[in-house]
Amino acid sequence: MTTLPADTKPNGPVAAAFLASGVASLVMGIGVVLNEASTTIKDAIGVDFNAFLQFDKSYGFGSGVGPLSGKVGLAIIAFVVSWVVFHLWLRGKEVNFRSYFIAALVLVALGFALTFPPIFTLVKPAG
Amino acid sequence: MELTERELYTVLHGLVLGTLFLLAFGGGLAGLWSLRERYLTAEGVQERTPRLLIGTSVMAIVAWLTVITGTFIAYPWYRATPPEGVDRADPAALEAFPRFALLAQEKTAQWHEFGMEWKEHVAWLAPFLATAVAFAVLYYGAQLVRRNEVRRAVIVFFVLAFAAAGAAGLFGAFITKAAPVG
Repeated sequence: MTTLPADTKPNGPVAAAFLASGVASLVMGIGVVLNEASTTIKDAIGVDFNAFLQFDKSYGFGSGVGPLSGKVGLAIIAFVVSWVVFHLWLRGKEVNFRSYFIAALVLVALGFALTFPPIFTLVKPAG
Repeated sequence: MELTERELYTVLHGLVLGTLFLLAFGGGLAGLWSLRERYLTAEGVQERTPRLLIGTSVMAIVAWLTVITGTFIAYPWYRATPPEGVDRADPAALEAFPRFALLAQEKTAQWHEFGMEWKEHVAWLAPFLATAVAFAVLYYGAQLVRRNEVRRAVIVFFVLAFAAAGAAGLFGAFITKAAPVG
């Protein structure tokens, strides 16, 4: 008869993966908002986020994709980097998983909200 | 009976990968939901763990493939800019430029302004969430049955990944109907 081990691995690495996906979702949402508000931000502080996010023109990442290439590129970088950082921080640790999961869920919810047109168009200049 | 190169890619992006995604989600969700010690013997857990790993891994891989093909192959066709001289108010002249064709008429503009704007962004949440799910299943394997809080969290992220991909897929189908890239 097969038996399952009574002890399981520490949950830190899974918490790290969940948090990383939350960070990536939020970065995607922030990218969308910065692009929509780029005219306002450029007028205010001189930084052109629309131009910055065009990774297709700046780095040849996805010809013809436009600012979406930057949003996607930054979200992927955020996913990989934050996963590595969180993994190094939490590996071998048994954490209060519920707290980490709620934090990840909040990040994901913000990502969903900021990628929803009725919300991100609130920052878009009229006209 | 023939398909253009563009139609072939959009079928691969939406229909083939979309179908695989749905299948993997259905199997994965059923496996995760019923992965409870009181329902299963130890042999049962060991037997279904590889299938659960395949289901969640396939969903993560398919999610990545879908957003990559959508963003880097189909999307540039969708947002192509008409050359000088093309009347941007005439939908008939904009057949090869779907974004501009949709925006040319008030009755179709929302397909771009709401549908495409949401789809192109929310779709990207799916691979991040699905990857975290696949990692959790890979990491714990059969031990996941003893980790109820992790299993429940995995189910929530799995459903959210499906919701993100589902919203994107639904609008993708509608937009393709209104203004195909092919």
